[in-house]
Amino acid sequence: MRAVYGIVAREFVRFLRQRGRVLASIGRPFVWLVFAGAGFAAVFAGRNEIDYRVYMAPGLLGMVVMFGSLLAALSTVTDREAGVLRMVLVAPIRRRTIAFGKALGATLLGTAQAIVVAAILLPFVHLRPTLAGALLGLVAVVLSGLAMGALGLVLAASIRSIENFAGVMNFVVFPMLFLSGALYPVRHLGPVLRAAAYVNPLAYGVDLLKHALLGGWARAGYGGELPVPLDCAALALFAIVGLTVAALLLGREGGVTRTAFRERR
Amino acid sequence: MTTAAIDARGLGKDFGALRALDRLDLEVRDGEFFGLLGPNGAGKTTTVHLLATLLAPSRGTARVAAHDVVREGLAVRRSIGLVFQETTLDRDLTVAENLRFAARLWSLPARVARPRIDALLRQFELLERRDDPVRTLSGGMRRAADIARGILHEPSILFLDEPTAGLDPRARRSLWERIRGLRAASGLTVLLTTHYVEEAEPCDRVAVLDHGRLAALGTPAELKRAAGAGSLEEVFLAHTGHRLAESDGG
Repeated sequence: MRAVYGIVAREFVRFLRQRGRVLASIGRPFVWLVFAGAGFAAVFAGRNEIDYRVYMAPGLLGMVVMFGSLLAALSTVTDREAGVLRMVLVAPIRRRTIAFGKALGATLLGTAQAIVVAAILLPFVHLRPTLAGALLGLVAVVLSGLAMGALGLVLAASIRSIENFAGVMNFVVFPMLFLSGALYPVRHLGPVLRAAAYVNPLAYGVDLLKHALLGGWARAGYGGELPVPLDCAALALFAIVGLTVAALLLGREGGVTRTAFRERR
Repeated sequence: MTTAAIDARGLGKDFGALRALDRLDLEVRDGEFFGLLGPNGAGKTTTVHLLATLLAPSRGTARVAAHDVVREGLAVRRSIGLVFQETTLDRDLTVAENLRFAARLWSLPARVARPRIDALLRQFELLERRDDPVRTLSGGMRRAADIARGILHEPSILFLDEPTAGLDPRARRSLWERIRGLRAASGLTVLLTTHYVEEAEPCDRVAVLDHGRLAALGTPAELKRAAGAGSLEEVFLAHTGHRLAESDGG
């Protein structure tokens, strides 16, 4: 347990020390709100029923969690390159404890960022959640963070270098964002893309956030589309499967040492 | 009968078609200063990683601190310290933060870790730099901090994998003094890998590895006598037919 605390604490210290990362994580949703919001608002089909900026709010919070947790978990790649991962692997901790610590750090980091952004964003778009909505929102953020953190760990354990990492950002993050319902309702998509949306953990997170924040617009068709328990179960499933796979990949021999061996030859 | 700190039987490792380590029989006694000597690619680091449970053996068995490296990985890792060839410190964290992080990874309670970290920082002359990011430290200081990290949990066996690589002569000398001090103070077993012959001279015993095979084993004096050689360098030449790297090949 102390090891998990150590791993989580290090994530937070590192994050807070990187000013650019802190500013980016808080500023990013507002950039989307202003620029994407301005453009999409004009073409948004439901603009008579709901202000597009309000519609975007749950999606933007989901985006904050996605970036926050995914990037934190992907720091495992930099840990490997910098050698820090070896210090962790040679410690008397089980591989699954390492995976859990990393995912938990990512979750908490994503959650903290979402709370800070929500505190600014929601008043800004005049969205006042009910207490129950706020609590459900917190559940949504934590579960999404866990699922994203686990996914980030799987990616980090299977990709080797930072260059690949940029590719991952383009081929994982953006499709996930666009297929999440953050910018337009998933039900407007064609059957193929809609099927793709339902293997996207972020879609369940954003859906849950819509249940939490857009309850007032549910009848107009802009609240959550799936049942709340299904969203929660899907996110939990992504988290469990992701953590299991990540622990296996981390434990797989040569995860670190083989690269070291190759470098030396 | 003395207890063996390390007992490897027929230990081997393949990477695909590459036989990194063939079948190594090796016994390191408790408290011994043991040198694993060989050129780059001889299988030294593979041996260390197998013994430290970072790699699974392809064949053979090994017991480290009386624990099996395959079945009792956690117990092995609890008993050993490992200083890797390249630093494992987080460059963005301070020296003290790195040691605190390590203390948590090894589950040391804060009340145990704090005085120990202070003592190590003093012993390794890092007290004044404790709150500086590791990034700002010289190579020698970083290495000192790495070793402090490696012995923080008071292991009974310390692995040093090419610890002097990339250090200037003065930093090397002070490193060897620290190792000597540690061994004198705690009876620590030390397994050193190196491709510098002169670094293996002070070892109690030396194993010469070449192409994943044990080429020779004995005290430096025995090895020289057996080979009719004046230096370990000539011993190595006699056993392997080629010379060790003279320069720092990394």
